[in-house]
Amino acid sequence: MKRLLLRRLLQLPLILLAIYTLTFTLTWLIPGSPLEKAEARQPPPEVMAAMQAQYNLDDPWDFYWDYLGSATGISWMLGERDGPVFDLGPSLRHENWSVNEILAAQLPISMALGLMAILIACLIGIVSGTLAAVKPGSWLDLFSLMVALIGISLPAFVTGTALLMIGGLWLDLFPVSGWGRPVHIVLPALALSLPFAAYISRLVRVGMLEQMASDHVRLLRSLGLSERTILLRHALRNAFLPVLSYLGPATAAAMTGSFVVERVFAVPGVGNHFVEAVLGKDITLIMGVVLVYSVLLVLFNLAVDLLYGWIDPRIRLA
Amino acid sequence: MNRLAIPFLLLIILLGLVLSLDESRPPADLVIASENEVFTLDPQRMSYLADMRLAYALYEGLLRWNIEDFTLEPGVAENWSIEDGGRRLVFDLRTDARWSDGSPVTANDFTWSWMRLLLPDTAADYSNLFFSIKGADEFWDWRTTQLENFTADPWSAANPNARSDQTVSMLNRMAALGSDADLPEGIGFDPDSDLLSIERDGLLAAVDQGDEQALVVALENSSHHRRIWDALNERESRKAESEWMWLQTEDQFRRLVGLKSVNDHQLIVELDTPVPYFPDLLAFAPASPVHRPTVEGWTLDESDRAMIVNSGWGSITPPPFESRRNISISPETGRLVQSHRWARPGTLVGNGPYTLDEWRYKRDMHLSRSETHHDGAGTGFDSIEIRSIPDPNTAVLAFMKGDVDWLTGVGADCRVEMLEQRRRYDEMHGKSHQHEKSMPDPVDGQRNDIHAIPVFGTDFFSFNCRALLPDGRANPFADPAVRRAFALATDKQTIVDNVTRLGEPIASTLVPRDSIPGYQSPSGLGFDPDRAKLELASAGWIDRDGDGVPENPKGTPFPDVEVLYTTGSPRFSRMAVELRDQWQRHLGIPVVLLGQDTKFFKEDLRKGNFMIARGRWYGDYGDPTTFLELCRSTDGNNDRGFSDPAVDAALDAAMLETDPEMRMRNLAELERRLFNEDLPLIPICQLVDVTMYDPTEMTGVTHHPRLTHYLWKLRPVAEVDR
Repeated sequence: MKRLLLRRLLQLPLILLAIYTLTFTLTWLIPGSPLEKAEARQPPPEVMAAMQAQYNLDDPWDFYWDYLGSATGISWMLGERDGPVFDLGPSLRHENWSVNEILAAQLPISMALGLMAILIACLIGIVSGTLAAVKPGSWLDLFSLMVALIGISLPAFVTGTALLMIGGLWLDLFPVSGWGRPVHIVLPALALSLPFAAYISRLVRVGMLEQMASDHVRLLRSLGLSERTILLRHALRNAFLPVLSYLGPATAAAMTGSFVVERVFAVPGVGNHFVEAVLGKDITLIMGVVLVYSVLLVLFNLAVDLLYGWIDPRIRLA
Repeated sequence: MNRLAIPFLLLIILLGLVLSLDESRPPADLVIASENEVFTLDPQRMSYLADMRLAYALYEGLLRWNIEDFTLEPGVAENWSIEDGGRRLVFDLRTDARWSDGSPVTANDFTWSWMRLLLPDTAADYSNLFFSIKGADEFWDWRTTQLENFTADPWSAANPNARSDQTVSMLNRMAALGSDADLPEGIGFDPDSDLLSIERDGLLAAVDQGDEQALVVALENSSHHRRIWDALNERESRKAESEWMWLQTEDQFRRLVGLKSVNDHQLIVELDTPVPYFPDLLAFAPASPVHRPTVEGWTLDESDRAMIVNSGWGSITPPPFESRRNISISPETGRLVQSHRWARPGTLVGNGPYTLDEWRYKRDMHLSRSETHHDGAGTGFDSIEIRSIPDPNTAVLAFMKGDVDWLTGVGADCRVEMLEQRRRYDEMHGKSHQHEKSMPDPVDGQRNDIHAIPVFGTDFFSFNCRALLPDGRANPFADPAVRRAFALATDKQTIVDNVTRLGEPIASTLVPRDSIPGYQSPSGLGFDPDRAKLELASAGWIDRDGDGVPENPKGTPFPDVEVLYTTGSPRFSRMAVELRDQWQRHLGIPVVLLGQDTKFFKEDLRKGNFMIARGRWYGDYGDPTTFLELCRSTDGNNDRGFSDPAVDAALDAAMLETDPEMRMRNLAELERRLFNEDLPLIPICQLVDVTMYDPTEMTGVTHHPRLTHYLWKLRPVAEVDR
């Protein structure tokens, strides 16, 4: 366990460096300049050139090392810079903000949305998967299959808009946009959770069917345990393991990949604006988001690995 | 089972933690939805309409518009007079104008803010609009040259006094170094040269004897002075030099530029030429005043602060550069580097009818009525929220739900159907109702809460007017007759009716109709396919071999015409497809469509790498030149490479014409010439702003094409009736 932890933590800087280099290269290749304003007047060329120089945009090599130094905190440690330890720079498209501020304000929102979505997904997925497995082939099973199909195949901007119209407009239960009160999180989290719920539901169903046919369950039945106890206390526990290993990447994905949902529900999270940053070539913002997400992703996978071994000691990774 | 619950418990705890970090605010009296995030609240840096809308709420310029007819009204200036044939404007400032920190707004505020506007270091998009102020462009060029020289050679602008001061301090350091061996590497004495060795000897002798004066002499005579200097102390000396340059710049501004604050409440502006629309520019957002101590981030003690609140910042000496938190002078380039962090809640000090309570990036912005504004009662809503809703469909849903009171720039596809419902409503009740409580309720299939307002902008397609295409081929569009043929073969009404479908007025000239008082645009070229064929033939393009495609006298067929458009919105691809069909049908010329992402598109446009490309222009000020300058050969936004000395001369002449009526006539003649003969571009239609608000609930939204919204003019209808 300790070796696993150590190895992963040592890998982290290398992974980050590779991601940083790749992202930087791709971002730099986007044509145009982030200082250019679409559909607006252009400042005189000499002013443009001076601004480019001010933000280090005239020299990719300088930019690469400078940004690496400040983002990783190395230049802070060397005492070259004051301010925050990990300085992700100013946003090039929104000069009143630094990337640190943007992430500090929006990352928690995306995280809350993603976590809520995963919770809902687990709830829907486990319940519908279990019900489906109790009587395979019954209408309950078919119904759960249908829900799963919809969840997986319909894109979020369709389910999202439908949820908005039903929950927001017709039933008048939830607000249509905004953020801050608990009611605001329900619809977007539900929309975001659907594909995850569908996948979890299928995983649980397959796992349960396998478990219910196993010798282990047959033994429990012969001991006279009630079907309910067997189902909830014994079968579900084993059937849940594949779900757990899915939860790590799923949680990371839910927290980071909610571009469409955040946009449709006007949730002020990172995903929504990340795409705009790419379109506008806001290099510092892109790099900042990618780096922070990479760290999160690696840490979540690590957390799941650790939990996994803890729940099922047989497969402790050494 | 217990262990299984652990991951979920962790998730729930994390979720609770994250949610508890967020705070929500009580709902505002008026909620406005905005699709785009505000770029900046620094008025001199603004160029987007959404930003300027906020500038008019947070700041107040010398003048402001009556937004119903765009005549001028007093703002901070109580009254003003125009003297010396329009070359001198005298403004009397009201004495009760206050910044939101309580300090008075004085004439200094305007001269200082406009210096900021006219300074290349600020990189303001609208600097050159104000070059008609006497000496403004001279000042711009002076500073630009000064900076260029500094970057090329830091000593060219050298300040002899500052340098010798620094020399002394450097010499002290050298003396402290003691001997040759301790001299830093890279100083580069060349032992092969006699001259240098003498210098070196003298230098070392001086160091040995500890004779500072001799050292000074030796060094001042040394041709290596600068290099020694640079090696020893480059950064420090550059810093001192660039700061000295800045002081010179401030001095130069006072000397060159025709702005004078006679006293705290009188300001005189002198112009190079009597620009008739100059007062209109003063109502424009970039001319708003900003609060110098805030912008520069002065660190002050209590007594200074008290002084400022009583009599304005002009009453105290500005603190040294080190105590100004938001600006610094870059030792590398000599430029003034400004941080824009002041333009945020908590620090922003404005003089407008509203103050900024909160601004959360791409989330929301909260304004509330200013307590220090002189016209507090003139403000409608106590508090305003501007909410960021990036998805156009969601914005419409939020409006229908009632979460949002006002939606500008409605982009949802369903707006076409909603506008149709509005048309049915207008058919039944007549169009006279704009915003009245008595407006009858719409029946099924009708609505009265969506409005299409023609605005101060034009959609067009640009010709590449250069003689050659970038690949070296001859450019058929260099010939105005060919350009006229394409314009005549364009059926704009069909485009507006079937493609864009927002009921835009079609345009045959660039200046939108009825948008500028006293100016009447000429008629331009209409749709006439027969005349188009004749024009094409007059340029030598005739279908000689009967295949339907015209050939030139040498028998070369007309090249495939490439139409470049941006793929960001379906509007332009649909327009391009329709144009392809029309030109193929009426002219027989094959057309190829090239869709590009905006970034690539702009690059191609700049390089002249296109034949026909989509374009759009919004006017900035109330004069036809705001559009017509686009056709000046040297204009930075002349993507077409259109160049005609006569047009440039006519634009110059318009600047000097003092008789307003004559001037408008001349400009109309210029526009006639441009859009009946030269055709650097084909105007398609005037743009419309689709906006949603309930006219029985809210009033004060202007329907004038200049499209300037004053948030403080908005009022609940119920209150107006009372």
